[in-house]
Formats: sequence, structure tokens, C-alpha cells
Amino acid sequence: MNWFTDRHFFLLAVLVYGLSTAYSVSLWRSGFRKDNRVNYLLLLAGFCLHVTAMSLRGFSLQHCPVNNLFEATMFVGWTIVTAYLVIGLVARLRFLGAFVSPLLFFLGVFALMPALDPPHGPKPEFTGAGVSLHAALILQAYGAFGLGAIAGLMYLSQEHDLKFHKLRAVFSMFPPIQKLELISARLLRNGFILLTIGLAIGAAVLGRHQDGYFSDIKVIWSLFVWAIYLALLLMRYKFAQGGRPFAWGAVAAFAFVLLTFWGTNLLSPLHHHP
Amino acid sequence: MSVVVIGLSHRSCPVAVRERFAFAEVKIPGALESLRGSGIAEEAVILSTCNRVEIYVSTPLEPGPAFQALKEFLVNFHAFEGELNEEMYAISEPLSLHHLFKVAGGLDSMVLGETEILGQLKKAYDLALQHRHTGARLNKAFQRAFYTAKHIRTETNIQRGSISIASVAVELAEKIFSSLNEHEVLVIGAGDTSEKTARALMSRGARGVVFANRSPERAQLLAADIGGRAVPFEDWPAQFQHVDIAISSTSAPDYILNRARLEPLMKQRRHRPLLLIDIAVPRDIDPEVNYVENVYLYNVDDLQTIANDYLKSRQDEIARCEQIIAEKVLPLLTSQKLHR
Repeated sequence: MNWFTDRHFFLLAVLVYGLSTAYSVSLWRSGFRKDNRVNYLLLLAGFCLHVTAMSLRGFSLQHCPVNNLFEATMFVGWTIVTAYLVIGLVARLRFLGAFVSPLLFFLGVFALMPALDPPHGPKPEFTGAGVSLHAALILQAYGAFGLGAIAGLMYLSQEHDLKFHKLRAVFSMFPPIQKLELISARLLRNGFILLTIGLAIGAAVLGRHQDGYFSDIKVIWSLFVWAIYLALLLMRYKFAQGGRPFAWGAVAAFAFVLLTFWGTNLLSPLHHHP
Repeated sequence: MSVVVIGLSHRSCPVAVRERFAFAEVKIPGALESLRGSGIAEEAVILSTCNRVEIYVSTPLEPGPAFQALKEFLVNFHAFEGELNEEMYAISEPLSLHHLFKVAGGLDSMVLGETEILGQLKKAYDLALQHRHTGARLNKAFQRAFYTAKHIRTETNIQRGSISIASVAVELAEKIFSSLNEHEVLVIGAGDTSEKTARALMSRGARGVVFANRSPERAQLLAADIGGRAVPFEDWPAQFQHVDIAISSTSAPDYILNRARLEPLMKQRRHRPLLLIDIAVPRDIDPEVNYVENVYLYNVDDLQTIANDYLKSRQDEIARCEQIIAEKVLPLLTSQKLHR
């Protein structure tokens, strides 16, 4: 039995994310008073294992590993952890790891469910640079939406503490709420651009060859998600600051994506090859 | 040879006594010279601030005679004629070194954990060093004290947080707004605390300050002094379109701002965040306005509670600081014993 498969490496990465999540609980309790190197290093270790798993899968397929739910979820997790490691180079923002690690752990556990990673046939039905780019851009968009939701969650927590005069609001290392709101809005905007381009490429590459492309449930779902984020961004620009409604919107929209992505993927003949 | 300290501080006597023993900076080198010339000390540093006057010496004398001689020196140098009982304290090794480290770390300061004292102590030491009144013993003790003070600052929360109303208000503003230099401050009713708060916000980079006071002369005076502009008192609601922080401290008997009055103003502001600081007693702003979206209202009790909590958290850190000091003083004492 080969103990060094891509799934084993990914399992190890998820275990490290789990450790980081457990450690994050103590950071939540202490109110983020110090930047945290330990969490950053744990997530860096998880990232190395994560990249190894993705590389092994990518080399075995000879293209970007985004062909089933396991690979797609792994890719979204990779986008999120990469963004965190870059942001975490700024010491005072390292505490963000306490928000990122539970999300990575949750995504990892979800991705590891055996049904999500059926063996590939001799070759996936749709291959080529266009398909890889379509999938990669859309998954990066979901990564950006995930980070936007995390920033939204931080906004809600800090805003609540400021509104109700909690001492931890001034003690915490959170950035100002105005900045959190801006970060969340920018992440959602960038995610929206990536999603738009990804969907356009999908329509251009697959729409030409497939009958019923626009009636596929995943395509309809994606357009619905696109409309949700468009509405959120429009609402945000209507006001000088979106405030709590915008932050709740960012969190709820990503929760919707997380909860329905799996189901629509399974129901879509275009995206799921039994 | 041991390190001893004699002095007076805010803990032992009032300012009326302390000021009689204060050293003018220009007189310190002469005082150090005469201390060493008298044979009381081989090395000496004089620290003279508004809260304390202390002489640190490395002396060949036993602590008892050394304290007596140092006390006489202080009394004679300042020509003090009154009676001294508990006002002056004298500490011998090892507690003298603990005391030095505590002073450097701000643990003995009037405002617990303040950092100004470290700069003052460094200045006092540099002055003695420049005039060659320090040697191996005091050099090592002071340098180790400075290092320990920095260590305490980074490893504990002793210096963390604001313990005055004005600085808490600034800290809150910095938790709401990305950068203060994009935001203007409105002061309604120019009382003492609101003036201090406006000054603190300006010193942290606020874009400007607008004063609306019933007495226009006072508003203009403050505007000229702090660098802002004065507007007629009745114009303050119109300013809400431009400002993002408002400090209110009028002597009005009722609320001057309530939810019904604020909601249309927020609409005009396109719901930009607004920090309201109500320092007035009786209060100027109806607490209901805190329920308006993107409005953050703090009254004087809220600010004072945060300041007190900060102070309490600093006090909770004292034990940790003293443990660090004990760890850092120990090697110093061991090495001094070896060299005796």
C-alpha cells in the first residue's frame, strides 16, 4: 500500500489545520492581544503538505487538479491559505489565522469524504487550458469570497463589541472596522470579477460544445451566486459604508455557497461524471 | 562595595516637599562631583523628576552610615531646614537593585506603567556617564535595568491601554476609522475634558477640529490655539455632514441630540460611521442614538469604565513584571558578589 498518495498528504495537511483550529480557540479566548507566530507556522506547515498533495494530483493528471469536488475544495482551501500566508507576512495581521484555520479545517474534512473523489476514467471528459482556467478562476473567486466572509465575521464581532462598549474592542488587535469593511468589499469585488471571467470562459469553451449548457443546474446556480454578489456590491456602493447588513451579506452568501456547492455539483451532469 | 539608593517620591511625600529637593539639571554634575569627593560614593547617579528625587550610589560604606551621609548631603545641598521623618526612603542591596528596575519599568510611577520615566532615567544615567561618575557597578546595573524595562514592555501588558478619558476616546476613534487624518472632529461646548480630547485627537493626526460654543470668543480662542475653526453654536447640526467624531460637553439641562434629530443627519452623511463622545453631565446625547446604524456613542461613564479596566489590567500585570525583575536582578547580584 502506498502511504504517500496525494490524499494522504492532504489528510496530513487537514490534521495540521485541525491543530491550528484547536490552538485558535485559545486565541479567541484571549482576545487577540498578540500576533501569533505559532499559528502562522502551523498554517505554513499545513500549506506545504497541501501543496504537495495538489502537485502530486496535478502531475498524475497532467493538468490543474480541479475535476471533482475533492480537487475543487482542495483548490479553494489552497487559495485561502496562500492569501493568508501572504497577508500574515505583516506581523500584526497574523492573528487572522485564528479565523482562517477553522475554515480550512472544515473545507478539508469536507473534501476528504470518499464520495467526493471518485477514480478518474482514463481521461476527464473535458480537458484543456480553457476548462482548467474556467475552474481555477471560479475556485479562486470562491476563495476570495471565503476571505471576504472572514473579514465580514471579524467586522461583526468588532462592531458588536464597539457598539456595546466591551473592553475587548479596544484591547483586540483587530484592524479598525472601517478597514475591515473595506477589505471585505475589495475581496468580494475581486472575487466577483474572477467569477465573471471564469463563467464567461466556461460559456465560451463549454457552451459551444454542449447542448443544454445554460440549463445545467450548476450553471444556473453559478449565475444565481453571481447575482447575489452583484446585489451585495451594488448595495455596498449605494451607501458610504455597508455596515452590518453588508457584513452579514458577505457571511451569509459564502455560507450559501458552502452549503449548496456540493449538492449542485452532484446534480450537474456537466460537472459530475459518475 | 554595594549599590544603595536614597530618595523621595510621590509615594513618600507631597510635591511641596519634593520640590525642595529637586536638582536643576545644570547643578547635577557638581552635586555628583561633591558626592564622590566626600568619599560617600565611588559611583553615583542623580535622578530628579517631578515625581521623584533619587540618588543611586555604589558605596564602600556600610548601608547605615551611607544612608546617614547621603541624607546629610541632600539636606545640606538644598539647605533644607525642616524636619524629615518618613518622607525619605533608603534602600540597600538587593532591594536597591529591585527598586531601580521597578522605576525603569514604570512600576513605581504615579501613572502605573508609563514610559516617560525610562527616558528620564536614561538621561540621568547619561549625564553621570558623560562626567565619568559611573563605573562598572552602576553601568551594569543601569544597562540591565534599561534592558529589563524594554523586556517588560514587550512581554507584558503593563504599558498597554489608555487610562485617561481623552486617550480612551482617541483609541476608540482608531478602532473605528482607518486613519484619523481623513476625519474632522466637532467639539460642541468647549469644556476642559473636551478640549483635552480634541487636542489628543489632533495630535494623533485628525484632519481638523470645529468648535461650536455658546461663547464665540472661547470657541475662537481654542480654534486659534489648537488649529481649527469656530462656528456659531446653533450651526453645530450642519457640521454633521463634514465631521465623523463629535465631542459634546454643553451645560444644557436636556438632550441636545436624540434619535429623531440624528437619523436625518445620518442620511445626509450617507451613513458614514459616526463616533459620539458625550462628556456632559447631565448628558447631552440621548442613549437611544446608539441604536442607529453606524453610530457609536460613549458617555463619560463608558470612557471611565474602559480607563479603569485598563488600569486594573495593568495592576494585574504587576506580579508578572516583578517576576521578570527578580529573574533579571539575580544574575546581577551573583556577579557582583563574585567581584566583591
